Amino acid sequence: MSSDNFYVGWQDDMPPSTKKFIKKLLLFIGLITVSIVVLIVVFQKPFNNHVFEFGNTTELTGVYIAKPYPMLQLTHNSAALNSESVLLVGFGKFGAESIMQDIENEEGSLDLNEITLAGTLIYGDGVALLELTNKAQSYVSRSGNFRQPLVIDKNSELITLTGEILDPKCYFGVMKPGEGKIHKSCAIRCLSGGIPPVFRVQDDNANTFRYYLLSGKDGAYINQELLPLVGQVVTLQGIPYSHLDWTLLEIDPKLNTLISGKNE
Amino acid sequence: MGVNYKAVQWNRQKKNYDVVLWMIIGGIVLLFSSLQLVIHPEITAETLIIRTSALTAFVLLHLILMIGPLARLDTRFLPLLYNRRHLGVSMFLIALIHGAFSIIQFHALGDVNPIVSVFTSNPNYQSISEFPFQILGFIALLILFLMAATSHDFWLKNLSPEIWKGLHMGVYLAYGLVIAHVATGALQYENHPVYWGILFVGFTAVATLHIFASIKENKVLTALKTNAVNEGFVEVLNVESIPISGAKAVFIHNQNIAIFRYLNRISAVHNVCKHQMGPLGEGEIVDGCITCPWHGYQYIPENGRAPEPFIEKLHTYSVKVIDGKVWVNPTPKPEGTYVEPAILEQQ
Repeated sequence: MSSDNFYVGWQDDMPPSTKKFIKKLLLFIGLITVSIVVLIVVFQKPFNNHVFEFGNTTELTGVYIAKPYPMLQLTHNSAALNSESVLLVGFGKFGAESIMQDIENEEGSLDLNEITLAGTLIYGDGVALLELTNKAQSYVSRSGNFRQPLVIDKNSELITLTGEILDPKCYFGVMKPGEGKIHKSCAIRCLSGGIPPVFRVQDDNANTFRYYLLSGKDGAYINQELLPLVGQVVTLQGIPYSHLDWTLLEIDPKLNTLISGKNE
Repeated sequence: MGVNYKAVQWNRQKKNYDVVLWMIIGGIVLLFSSLQLVIHPEITAETLIIRTSALTAFVLLHLILMIGPLARLDTRFLPLLYNRRHLGVSMFLIALIHGAFSIIQFHALGDVNPIVSVFTSNPNYQSISEFPFQILGFIALLILFLMAATSHDFWLKNLSPEIWKGLHMGVYLAYGLVIAHVATGALQYENHPVYWGILFVGFTAVATLHIFASIKENKVLTALKTNAVNEGFVEVLNVESIPISGAKAVFIHNQNIAIFRYLNRISAVHNVCKHQMGPLGEGEIVDGCITCPWHGYQYIPENGRAPEPFIEKLHTYSVKVIDGKVWVNPTPKPEGTYVEPAILEQQ
């Protein structure tokens, strides 16, 4: 290359031949970059259509069920929801138990009472949750009606299921994706903060899922024991039973089997 | 040592460089976001920000790492090198957006401090597929921060070129950590072969260019060394072993030679003072002159002559610097002969 083509950065302009080369190079870089961007988006896994109504507050009325996890058994239909019950979760990466405890410290026991709560709806795939966004201020009122305790039938036998332990708050709408390796740390934080663990099991030969709320024996809190198993494929043994429109799976964390090497 | 701070000295080509750089960044962000919103309208704003910033920083990091070897292989790539530090700082800022949003999204508003959570939430250090990949990204971001924070010439002068260059070689460690971060993180979820293919091609391109540049450089060095040997030069010592404004003495082919380093130059003269045979190689450069440690007799390093009105003269020797090593031709020049000093490359 002749000295006429020597590039000096502080000069006003670069040599014409260099300029021509750089223009072609930038075009090439542009084409490569566009190809990478298109490939990445096109071959990306699709997101689910779950919803987090961020910024919208909804009031729900139902019977408060405290155990094993705080829920509302809806007594008034909600247009957006297609479920009998709503799982309650706290603000951020926390469960609703401490919030409901704070409310009960003011209002007295609310278990099995019909109450109205305000919060942010999270829903998808037939499951609904209510985030008590304003913490104890999420409580609106109680009607004075109440119901008898739920009858629990635990005659089922031990079953074995394979799937992923998720935090339902993120999975059913707050985050996309709210599953797998990239969400693992967040799910661990959420379960550690008391959000009820949900076990997602894919139906055979179908892209549909069944969801189980996990607990220890008689509804014992086992979130901390489950943390090492979150966000990966595991096989669990447990006793299922119906709880409102949920299926609870009582498990002994020591009996679980971890199948490694595959993320959903 | 006093260091003067100078603001960025803008010129037309630097401005053009930054305009093109930010057009590329804006183009990636716009295209990626638009495609996401059209093909995956369910995406959340947080996920869009995390993925857009990740992709943009990742593409720029590859570009940064390829510029060096490309410019060594073909000088037409030199304009890309000219303002590479702005490219590096821009890449860091975008990576910082990715890191900050990820930490807020996945670790904030929980029962543990978010930074502590990055290191403790996933303890599967023994597994590759389950490895806590966010830690790798976190460490890479720290390295990139150190590099971005010290990218100005102020730090180049303040830290010394050796320390500065050593610190900035950390980009390769950061790159390795980023590759591992992506492979054990995003690609454990987005595991389509196309994703693995893009990662592999990017890594291979960076590695191959470095290998080719290294082969070319070695060829040039080998040719330089062969020529030097043919011309009678002998490799004697590392430039770095000579103190600045000082000397090292060597004894080769029965010649006692003092090699001086001064003003980014290297010169060699006979190591014996004309006054009382003092060891000049133990002296220093004072006021631009070789100064004998015994009685302060002085000589000009390029020609070995005492400054006028003095008349003493030393033998001088031809010198070269190849790949950080000083080469000397031990055949002495007649006393007082001017010899072009070897100019050290600016770091």
